[in-house]
Amino acid sequence: MKKFWALLLTVAMTLTMLVGCGGGSGEGTEAGGIDTSKTVKMGILISDATSAEALAFQNYYREYIGKQYNVELIYSDVLVDAAGEKSAVDTMITNNCKAIISFSSFDRAAQIQQCQDAGVYYAIATGTLTEEEYETYKGYEYYVGAIGPSLDVEFQTGYDMAKHYLDQGKTNFAIFGGAIPYYTEMHIYRAAGMLTAMVEAGGEGANYKGAADAGAIIGQIFADGGVDVTSIGNINIVGYVGGYDMTDAWWGAVGQMTGTAGLEVILAVGNGSDFFGTGIANTDIEIASVDAYAETYGEAMKGDSLHYLAGKFSASIGPIFVATYRAALGDPVRTAEGNALALSQGYWIATSADEFDTYYSVDSSIESPAYTKDVLDTLLTASYDDFAKFVGAYSFEEIQAMK
Amino acid sequence: MGKANIKKYVLNLAPAFGLVALFVAFLVLGTWKDINVAYGLKSILNQSIVVAVVATGAIFIYTLGSFDISLGASTAVSALIGAMVYNRTESIWVMLFVCIGVAVFVGLFNSVLASVFNLPVFVTTIAMLSFLNALVLLLININGTGSEIAIPAPAVVPYNTVEFKMVLLIGFFLLCVFIFSFTKIGRKQKFQGGNPLCAKLSGISEKKMAIIAFVMSGIGVGLGAFLSIIYAPTLTKNTASSVGMDVIIAIVFGGMPVSGGARSKIYAAMIGAFSMTILGQLMVMFNLNSGIGQMVKAVIFLLVVFLATSDQRGKLLPR
Repeated sequence: MKKFWALLLTVAMTLTMLVGCGGGSGEGTEAGGIDTSKTVKMGILISDATSAEALAFQNYYREYIGKQYNVELIYSDVLVDAAGEKSAVDTMITNNCKAIISFSSFDRAAQIQQCQDAGVYYAIATGTLTEEEYETYKGYEYYVGAIGPSLDVEFQTGYDMAKHYLDQGKTNFAIFGGAIPYYTEMHIYRAAGMLTAMVEAGGEGANYKGAADAGAIIGQIFADGGVDVTSIGNINIVGYVGGYDMTDAWWGAVGQMTGTAGLEVILAVGNGSDFFGTGIANTDIEIASVDAYAETYGEAMKGDSLHYLAGKFSASIGPIFVATYRAALGDPVRTAEGNALALSQGYWIATSADEFDTYYSVDSSIESPAYTKDVLDTLLTASYDDFAKFVGAYSFEEIQAMK
Repeated sequence: MGKANIKKYVLNLAPAFGLVALFVAFLVLGTWKDINVAYGLKSILNQSIVVAVVATGAIFIYTLGSFDISLGASTAVSALIGAMVYNRTESIWVMLFVCIGVAVFVGLFNSVLASVFNLPVFVTTIAMLSFLNALVLLLININGTGSEIAIPAPAVVPYNTVEFKMVLLIGFFLLCVFIFSFTKIGRKQKFQGGNPLCAKLSGISEKKMAIIAFVMSGIGVGLGAFLSIIYAPTLTKNTASSVGMDVIIAIVFGGMPVSGGARSKIYAAMIGAFSMTILGQLMVMFNLNSGIGQMVKAVIFLLVVFLATSDQRGKLLPR
């Protein structure tokens, strides 16, 4: 009898979990020529469930977009490799998802091809394709496109970050290279921007390992897979750490870099405060990072372990959602030539805790985020040019003015 | 057939009934939820096949009452070396043989190491896991691309088909069934797993059985590595990272006693691998996020193991 009750209890628990699922979505209406009354099933590919940036993005979709629009969002497990990515896309196609928005980038080309073959719309939530990749896939009917910082914007972000400190007269820098050893382009371009600013500020004849212009510097970083500790005219790079190995040796290098004599500023191509914040405690060293608006960075700024943040705002993924939603409803946004979207968007820069708080209060709101439904709804009927103009007006002030 | 025998028979086949029930549920609920059932079946094959092949080979090790924790890492290393060889030879068949060769070598190294140091096999596989994980990073660094080793997608497209995969899966499964159920090797392995001392006194060589088990497991790992490349030709440090744990779950889910011995079943891995995948598909069908999905899977896992072992509890010789 005991066995029977144990079995019954187990079955009851399982059924309760299965039945207890489900989700609501917004009411559908007519928006311009688009019929939004039918619920659109969309898949979201997730590859990171821990970083501040990833959590902020996912929170915007889960807590705002998913509740405001007539959509059923199906989230993948946290993906860790290309095979998992492909399996997740397969599962979403099986479940009749009309579109997939991907935060995962282990093999973008395979995802685009898989969706094209299955007739499912595909969009990149964060990041962009390389020019070569875009040329290959821009004509694909089911490739919606990407909206995110272009490589030019990434370069400029690194440049502005370094220039901010160079203008203050700082001369001794360390660089955290993030994913440069893995040849991640956006990190290479950010570092190249930093080095270019240093070359310009380094005095006559200053160069980085013989490279004096942006193109040559980018090529040099690609060739080395890192940044050298060297002098650029009268500007010094006194330390460099790359990768995310998190091994004892790597942490040793991190500790060694923060202890370098004369170091004034650590320029990080990604998140710097989490790795170097402890090491600079009770020193005058400043840290500049590129990431997203998340609570931890506000605390870091107040705690004097982060001093400059070029951060993505979570609602920046709103426009690509609308583009994908439109495509799934039969009204894709295409360029005049009929190609997929490749629009660039930049960062919000905070150089103080107060500035951070101003941005973060808007960015973290699930009642009135940076891009509210009313604001995004203007894109439902927008032409490509209007769409591009909307995306291009990404500064905090411009977005607030839209409301 | 007595009532006790019928109960034993039914409980013995509980995992198979479970698979059928899950499959029927997938078809019925899938039709009700208006999913693409045909695409789903293909997807289930794609998502199950690597674990099914690796786990079927690993049954030989589990039958001995042993355990290999390094199967996932071995799959990753075999796949990476296979891909590197492909990029030099541009031959898919050379890549296949290299994948199998590397995996068999790793398996043999495990068993020989255990023999030389007279250690339990699972102890050497723990050391091997650490070594292989380091080797994965080293291979990717050596290759010079930073974070991945990839082969051109068009090279694998002709082989990434249901027909080709089914031929490999069925062929390997039949080979394992033949060796396990129709030769002395299988009987000796069950004997050894059930009672090592009696087996030794009966003249069965423990080392020989271990070597055969690791060779069979190596072939499974090699095929799994090859199928991993065929499915997703971009390999990273996380390639096959979940395979090791999935193999253990599949084997237990399929009704295989972890203690090995006479009740070992060669088909357990296949049943377990497909059951797990179908269960995963059902979770997605109901839009259960991964957290709740994992909990539901855990409960069902316990249910299956509870049923599969219910006729053994309280007995003096569980094997």
